[in-house]
Amino acid sequence: MPKTTKKTETANNLTDRQLKEMYRRMVLIRRFEEVAFEKALAGNYANYHGAMGQEAIPVGACFDLTPEDGTMITHRGLGVPITRGVTVKDIFAGLYGRADSPTRGRIPVYHMGEPKLGVLTGTSMVGSVIPLASGKALANKLDKNNNVVISFFGDGAANRGDFHEGINLAGVWNLAIVFFCENNFYAKSMPLEKSTAGGSIIRRADGYGLPSMLVDGNDVLAVYDATKQAVARAREGGGPTFIECETYRWTPHSTAGDREFARTEEELASWKAKCPVRRLEALLLETGQASSEELNAFDEAAQREIEEAIDWVEKASDPGPEVALENVYV
Amino acid sequence: MREISYKEAITEAMVQEMRRDPKVIIMGEDVGDFGGLTETTIGIIDEFGDQRVLETPISECGFVGAAVGAALAGYRPILELGLADVSFVAMDQIVNTAAKMNYFNDGEATVSLVIRVWSGFRRSGGPQQSQSNEAMFNHVPGLKVVMPSTPYDVKGLLTASIRDNNPIIFFEPKASYPREGEVPEDEYVIPIGEADVKREGTDVTIIALGAMVHLALEAAEKLARDGVSAEVVDPRTIRPLDVQTIVASVRKTGRAVITHEANVIGGVGGEIAAILADQAFTSLKAPIKRIGGEETPIPVSPSLESTVVPGEDDILDVVQALI
Repeated sequence: MPKTTKKTETANNLTDRQLKEMYRRMVLIRRFEEVAFEKALAGNYANYHGAMGQEAIPVGACFDLTPEDGTMITHRGLGVPITRGVTVKDIFAGLYGRADSPTRGRIPVYHMGEPKLGVLTGTSMVGSVIPLASGKALANKLDKNNNVVISFFGDGAANRGDFHEGINLAGVWNLAIVFFCENNFYAKSMPLEKSTAGGSIIRRADGYGLPSMLVDGNDVLAVYDATKQAVARAREGGGPTFIECETYRWTPHSTAGDREFARTEEELASWKAKCPVRRLEALLLETGQASSEELNAFDEAAQREIEEAIDWVEKASDPGPEVALENVYV
Repeated sequence: MREISYKEAITEAMVQEMRRDPKVIIMGEDVGDFGGLTETTIGIIDEFGDQRVLETPISECGFVGAAVGAALAGYRPILELGLADVSFVAMDQIVNTAAKMNYFNDGEATVSLVIRVWSGFRRSGGPQQSQSNEAMFNHVPGLKVVMPSTPYDVKGLLTASIRDNNPIIFFEPKASYPREGEVPEDEYVIPIGEADVKREGTDVTIIALGAMVHLALEAAEKLARDGVSAEVVDPRTIRPLDVQTIVASVRKTGRAVITHEANVIGGVGGEIAAILADQAFTSLKAPIKRIGGEETPIPVSPSLESTVVPGEDDILDVVQALI
C-alpha cells in the first residue's frame, strides 16, 4: 500500500532571500484577498470566493515551479496565479470586467489561462478541472518532456466523479501530476464529516495507488517541502502524488453566499491564531533571517501595488459590445 | 471509382489524418486491438502504437476532460464515445468545458476535438442505445454538430473535422454504416457548413438528416413515378447550418418536409422550420411538415421499435398530403 506521510516539520534549506520572497508573495496575496473581498461586498463586481487564511498553499506549492509547469485552480484560490506572476492589476481588471484585462471581461478571472506563466484555463464546475489537468499531463507525457502539473481543488471536489476519474486516469497512465487538495473542511456550507464517507480524503489516494502526504497547510515550509518531493517524483517519471493540506478560509464561501451555518466564531478564531502569514513572519524574526523593517516594507509595497491597481481599475473602460461575440469559434 | 462502406471511409479518414499530422491521436474505450465499439479503429494501433491510440477506462467524464486538456496543449484528439447515448454521461465536460474553452482562451489556445458518436436506431438497441441527440448539442454555442449520411460525405467531413480548431460532435448514424459508395482514395475535405442537394426536384423539398437521407431518396424515387418531383437536401452539418442552400431550395419548390430519426419536439426540424418560416414565408404553398420519432423512449422489441421509428412510408404519406 502506498505510504501516507504526515508532514508538519520541514527541513528548512531555503536561503534568507527565498524565505523573504515567500513572505513577500504571501503578504501580497493576503492584502489582495482583503481588498478583493471588500470590493465585491461594496458591489463593484458580483461575487468573490475568498481564500484568506490559505495563502501558504499557493506560495509554498508553486515556489519551485518553472513556467513550463502547469497549475490548475478551481473558483477559489487566486493566490496561485498571483504567485506565478499574474499581476494583481490584471486580476482586478478581470474582476471588474474591464476591457484592458487578459479576460477582456468575458469570463470569470479565476478561469483565466496565462500560458506563458503556466496558468492553465479552468472551469467553474467543482472538480471538473481534475480530468482537464490530467489531460495537460497526458500531453506532457506524449511530448516526452518532464514538465509537471499541479491540480488544486478543495475538499468538496473529492466527492465528484471527476475527482475519481481524473485521478484514476493519471494513475493508469503514470502521469507527472500532483493532486493537491486544499481541505478547508467546508464545501460551501457542508462540513467534511457530513459530505465524506470514510471521513478522510487522503485515504482515497490509496485506492488509486498514489503515495500521499498530509500537510499542515498553514505552514508554508511544510507545503513547500511536500510539493517539492511530489514534483521531483513526477519529473523523474515516478507518477502522480496526492497531497492534502489542512487549512481554513477566514471568509464565508463567497460574498454572494456569505451566510454561515456550521462554522463557529470559536473555530474561526482558533484558525486565525494559526495565521500562515504571521507564522512565517514569526519564524523569520525569531531566526533573524529578516528584520521587521524588511517585512513591513514588503507589506507596504503590497498595499501600494493594490492601491495603484484599484485606482487604475476603477477608472478603466468596459469592453465594447463586439467583444462578447468574438472567438466563440476560432 | 472504387466503392467502400461508410464504416471503412471513417477508418480511412482517421488513418490518413494520423499519417499527415503527428498531433492527431485517438482516445476511447476499446479503441486498441479490439477496434472500438464501431470497429472503426481495427488495426490502427498496429500502425501508430499505444501513444497515438490511447485506450481509456470506462470513464467518459474523465477522458473527455483529459482530451480537452490535451487539445489545449496542442493535440488533436479524436474521441470514440461509442453510442451517442453515452455522450450524456460526459455532458458536463462536453458542454461546460469543451464548448467554452475557445471562448475562455480568446483564440490563444484552441480545442481541436472530434467526439465521434454512433447514433440512432439499431435493431433492439432500446431506450438508452438508440437515441439521436443532435438537437441537444445544436443548442450549445461553441460546439459544431456534424452528421454525414454517405461514405463520401463521412470521409470528407471527418477529415475537415479533425483539421478544425473547434470541438465537434460527429454523428455517425448506425443505419449509414453498411452503406457503400464511391470514395476517392486520396484525402479530401468537405467544408463544414455546406449542405448537399442529393436529388434535384421542383415540387417539394425534403430536408433529411443522417440516416433519413437514404429513406428520403427512396421515397423521392417512388414519388417520381407518381409525377411528384422531390428535391432532397442533406444539411450534413447541423451547426453551423447551411441556411442559404435550404432556404433557396424551399423558395424554389414552395413546400418543405423535414425529417430526422430523433423525436419531433425540440428536434432540429423545429429550428429549420423556424428559419424557413422566417426566410421562405412568401414562397410557401403549404405548411412546413416535420417527421421524426414518436415522443417515447425507444422500445426494445422489434415490433414496438418499428412503430416509433420514422420510415419511408411516413415521408410518402406526408408529401402526398401536401401536394
